[in-house]
Amino acid sequence: MNIGTRKILDRSFTAVGIGSIVVMALALMIVVVPIVYNGIGAVFFTGTVEHRKMLHAEFRRGDSQYLSSEVASSNRYRAKVYDMLTGFEAELETMAPEKKAEYQAKYSQVRTALQALLGPLPGDPEPMLTRFKYGQTRWEKAEEKLHDLLYESKWDNTNPNVMGKEYFVSRAIGFEGTSLARLFPYVKDNLENMLLPEFTFYWGFITDSSVDSHFFGGIWPEIQGTFFLAIGAMLFAFPLGVVAAVYFTEYAKPGFLNSMLRSANSTLAGVPSIVFGMFGLAFFINTMKVSESKSVIAGALTLAIMILPTIIRAAEEAILAVPKTYREASLSLGSTKWNTIATVILPAALPGILTGGVISLGRAAGETAPIIFTAAVSVGSAIGLADVFSSPTPALSWNIYNLASEHEAATQIRHVQYGMVLALVTIVLLLNLSAIVLRARISKKLKG
Amino acid sequence: MADESVGERNRSNAFVVTARKRTLQKVAKTAGEGMLFSVAFFVAVIVLFIFYFVARDAIPFFQIRGFSEFFTSTNWYPADEPGEFGALAIIYGSLMVTLGSAMIAVPMGVAAAICLSDILPFSIRQYAKPVIEMLAAIPSVAFGFFALVVLAPLMQDHGGPMLMWGWWILVSPFLLLSVIVIADLLTANIKDEKRRQQRHWMLLIALGLFSIFLLFKVGSVLNGIQILTGTNALNVSIILSFMALPTIVSVSEDALQAVGRDIREGSYALGATRAETIIKTILPAASSGILAAVILGIMRALGETMVVWMASGNSSHIPEPWFNYLEAIRTLTATIAGDMGEADQVTGSARFHVLFAMGLLLLIISFISNLVSERIVVRQRKILSGQ
Amino acid sequence: MLMITDVRNTSESVPLQKTTREIYLPPQRSTITGGGTAHIAAREFSVYYGEFEAVKKVSADILSKYVTAIIGPSGCGKSTFLRAINRMNDLIPSCHTTGALLFDGEDIYGKFTDEVLLRKKVGMVFQKPNPFPKSIFDNIAYGPRLHGVNDKKKLMEIVERSLRKAAIWDEVCDRLDKNALGLSGGQQQRLCVARTLAVEPEVLLLDEPTSALDPKATAKIEDLIQELRGSYTIMIVTHNMQQASRVSDSTMFFYEGILVEHAPTAQLFVNPKDPMTEDYITGRFS
Repeated sequence: MNIGTRKILDRSFTAVGIGSIVVMALALMIVVVPIVYNGIGAVFFTGTVEHRKMLHAEFRRGDSQYLSSEVASSNRYRAKVYDMLTGFEAELETMAPEKKAEYQAKYSQVRTALQALLGPLPGDPEPMLTRFKYGQTRWEKAEEKLHDLLYESKWDNTNPNVMGKEYFVSRAIGFEGTSLARLFPYVKDNLENMLLPEFTFYWGFITDSSVDSHFFGGIWPEIQGTFFLAIGAMLFAFPLGVVAAVYFTEYAKPGFLNSMLRSANSTLAGVPSIVFGMFGLAFFINTMKVSESKSVIAGALTLAIMILPTIIRAAEEAILAVPKTYREASLSLGSTKWNTIATVILPAALPGILTGGVISLGRAAGETAPIIFTAAVSVGSAIGLADVFSSPTPALSWNIYNLASEHEAATQIRHVQYGMVLALVTIVLLLNLSAIVLRARISKKLKG
Repeated sequence: MADESVGERNRSNAFVVTARKRTLQKVAKTAGEGMLFSVAFFVAVIVLFIFYFVARDAIPFFQIRGFSEFFTSTNWYPADEPGEFGALAIIYGSLMVTLGSAMIAVPMGVAAAICLSDILPFSIRQYAKPVIEMLAAIPSVAFGFFALVVLAPLMQDHGGPMLMWGWWILVSPFLLLSVIVIADLLTANIKDEKRRQQRHWMLLIALGLFSIFLLFKVGSVLNGIQILTGTNALNVSIILSFMALPTIVSVSEDALQAVGRDIREGSYALGATRAETIIKTILPAASSGILAAVILGIMRALGETMVVWMASGNSSHIPEPWFNYLEAIRTLTATIAGDMGEADQVTGSARFHVLFAMGLLLLIISFISNLVSERIVVRQRKILSGQ
Repeated sequence: MLMITDVRNTSESVPLQKTTREIYLPPQRSTITGGGTAHIAAREFSVYYGEFEAVKKVSADILSKYVTAIIGPSGCGKSTFLRAINRMNDLIPSCHTTGALLFDGEDIYGKFTDEVLLRKKVGMVFQKPNPFPKSIFDNIAYGPRLHGVNDKKKLMEIVERSLRKAAIWDEVCDRLDKNALGLSGGQQQRLCVARTLAVEPEVLLLDEPTSALDPKATAKIEDLIQELRGSYTIMIVTHNMQQASRVSDSTMFFYEGILVEHAPTAQLFVNPKDPMTEDYITGRFS
C-alpha cells in the first residue's frame, strides 16, 4: 500500500472510533430527549377548566370561588352547544324513520365525541368511572378530541394489495341541512371559551396518588414504592457487600476456596435479572415465606441479592485503591489490624464505596424484572412503613411497563407514562451523576 | 531463680503478654475472620441457592414432558388443555435478538473502546466516560418504553425510508474506504509510476461507479419495504445493542489499557501508523479480553427482560424467512415475565414449571459464559504479565 | 556527644541459645566507651520470603539511645531487617523468621509477643511521607486515641509536645485542623515523625526517611534526628553515605542479606575492616 492510502486508512480508522462514541452519545440523546420533553409535559402543560374541576373535586385543591366563576363562564358557551343538541333531538323525532335511523347512529357518535371533549352532557347519568366525569383536562388532548368531533375516520380498503389507509370525512357535511350542522363550526370557534386553557404547573403529579388507574392524579405511590424497594435493598446489600469486600481484600488467602468465592461473585453478577425474580418467588415467598405473597420485603431482598456483586466489586476496588502506606503507618503506630481497617482504610475508601453504593441504589431503583413476581402491583395506594412486610407496592419501573403495555387505555395516558419514565430516569441519572461527581472529587483529593 | 526472673520480666515488659491473653487474642481474631468469611461465603451460598431453587421447579417439567418437545417443537400453547410446550421458536427468538444486538454493538463497542483508550486525548475522554456510564445507568424499562412508544411507531410509519437512510449512512463510508483500498492494492505491483497512476484512477472511477450503483439499488429496495409491525426483532436488537454497548466498551477498554505502552511504542518506532499499530499489535494482544467483553455484553442482551417484553411483539414463531428481523418474535425472558402471572403456582402445573425450565436454561447459559469469560480474562492477564 | 570507639563482635561473645525462642538475655554492658546498653539484639536472625533468605543470620547489638545507620546497596536486606524489628513484615504472608531478635531482652517473634504493643514501643517512619488524609491534629492524635487517650485537653498537650519535638510546631500551630495532605513533603515527613513520637515509643525506625525529599527538607530531618538522639534509640536506613556519616553513631553495612560490618561510624567510614565495605563506601559498587 502506498503511504497516502495508509494515511487515509488511519484517518478513517480514527473517524470510525470517534463516530462510534458520537453514536453512543446520540443514542443517549435520542432516548433521553423525548423522555425529558414529553415527561416535563406531565407537570407543565396547558390545562383546561376540566383539570381544575378535577383537582378541586378529587384533591380539594384550587380556589373554589375563582373556579365557580370560570365554570360559569365556560357554561355560558357550552349552553349553546347543549341547546343545539336538544334542538336536533327534537328535529330527529320529526324525521322519517329511515332517515332518523341513519342520523341517530351518526348523532350518537357526535355525542360520544362531545362527552370526551366536555364531560358528561346534560341529561347523562352520573358516570361510574372518574375518567368519564370530566372532559379533556389537557388542551392538546382537547384539540385531538376536537378533530374526532369534526371528522369521521374511515379506512380505504379498495386496493387489497396495500394496507388500508385512514382518511377523514367532515361530519359537518354529513349533517348538512339539519340544525346540527351549525354545531361543528361553533365548537371549533369557541372551544377555548368552553375549556379555558391556561398554563398549568401541576406539581401534584409528584405528590398525588392516582385517580381511576392513572387517568388523573400523580405518581406518588410509585415513587414511594421505588424508594422503599431501593432503600430496602441497600439496607441488606450494602453492609453485607462492604464486609465481604473487606474479607476479600484484607483477609482472603489465595487458594481454591478464594477463587471459588470470586467465581461465585462474578456468576451472581451475570445472572439475568428475570432469574433473580424467579428465585425471589421460589425462595423468599414460596419457601421462606417472608410474606404471604408479593411484598416490599421480598422484593427488596431479591434486589439486594442482585446488587450485591456490584457493591462488593466497587468496595473492593475502593479498598484496594487506599495506598498501602496508610496501612503501614497505622500499624506502625500500634494499631490492630481490625482497628486499622475501621479507622483508616474504610474512611479513606468510603467515598469510593459510597460511589458504588449510589450506583447500585440507582440500579435497584430502575430494575423491573426482579420485582415483577416479588413486590410489584399495578394499582395501589402508597403504603405505610409498617406494611412493608406484608403488602406489595406500586413501583415506577413496573408501572411504566404496566401503563404502557397493559393499561386498557394506554394511548390516552401517554403523558403519565412519560412523566413516570422521566421521574425514574431522573432519579437514576441524578444518583449516577452524583456518583460521577463524587468520584471526580476523590481523584482530585488523592492528587492533593 | 532463673524462672522467676523470666516471669518478672514478662510482666514488666510492655509488649509481652501472658499466654492466656495471647490465646484469647487468637481466638478473637479467628472468630472475627470467621465471621467475615461467612459473609463472603454467603455470596457462594446464594449462587447455589439460585441454582437449586430454579432447578427444583424446572425439573418437574422435564419429568412430565421430557426434553424433546421443549427443544424441538415450535408449538407454544401453554394455556391449552392439554398444553403444548415447544420452546424452539422462543429460544430462537432469544438467539435472534442477541445476535442482532451483537452485530450492532460489538463493532461499535470495540471501535469506541479503541477510541477511548488510544485515540481520544484525556481531556475529551473525561467527558466520554460519563456518557457511557449514563447509558449503562438508564433503566431497562425506560429503554423498553422508548422502543415501544417512540421507535415502534416510527418504524411502522417510516420503516422503508429509515432502513434506506440507515443503509446509506452506515455503508457508504465503508464502501468508499474499500474502493480506495482495493484500487490501491490492485495497482501496487505495477512498477511504472505513470501507468500505475493511470490504472489507479481508472479503477477508482470504475469501482466508485459500481458502489454508487450498489448504494442506490439496495437503498431503493429498502425504501420499498413496508414494516408491518414496529414491535419487531430489529427494534429490539437496536435497543439491546445500546444496552450492551457500555459493558462491551468498558471491559474492552480495560483489556486495551492492560496492553502496555512499550508494545505501542515498539510498533510506532517501526513506522506503523496508529491504525496499523492498533490493528496489528494491540488488538491481537488484547483479543482475549475483548472476547470476554463481547461475551459479557451478549449476556446482557440475552438476559434482558423489559425491552424484549415490551417491544418484541411477543409472537412465538420462527420468522419467515429465518433471518427476517422485521417480524415480531418472542424471547425466553419475556415469556417468563409474561406467563408467570397466568401460570398456576400452587398446583405446580407444567405451565408453571416450563417457565422455570426456561429460567434454568438462561441460568446455565449465563453461568457457562461467565466462567468462560473469567477464564479468558485470567489467561490474558497471565500472558501479559509474562507468566 | 558520646563517641563510640568500638563495637564488640557480638556473635562471638554471646553464645546463641537455639533451644528456645523465649530466651532472655540480660542487657549487655557494651564495651563501647560511655557504656551504652544493647536495646535491640539480633542473634543469628534470618528473614525469609518464602524460600528466599532476605536477611542471613545477622547478629548485632543496637545500643540504647544511639543513632544506628544501616547502609548497603538496594535489595541487600537492610529495609527487611529494619521492618523485622517492629514486625511490619507480618503484612507479607510468605514471610517468616528464624533465630532471635530481642527487644529489651524479649524475643520480638516470641510466642507471647503482642505485635500491636510492640509497635507502640517501636515506632516507624517510612520512605514516603504517609500522613492520613485527616487533619494535622487527627494525624498526631491517631496513636494516642488508639491507646485510650480521649481527653481533648490531654490530646492537645500530646499533639503540641510531639509537634514541638519534631520541630514542626511553629509551622503548623495555626492550622492544626487543616488536611495534612496540604503540607509540603518535608513537613509531611516531620509530621510523620511527630505522629510516631506521639505514642511515646522507645525506638524510632526510619526507613530512608529523606529519599523522597529535597535537600532543604532533608537537612531539616537530619537536624531533627540530631535533636532526638539521646532520647530515643534511632535506626535509620539510608542510601546516602554522607547522611549516614553525618547523623549516626554506629553504622551497619549489609550486603546480600549479610551483615558485613558493624562499627562506630567514624571507624567504618575512615578505616573499614572489610574490603567489601571499603569498595562500597568508596563507590566502586552501589
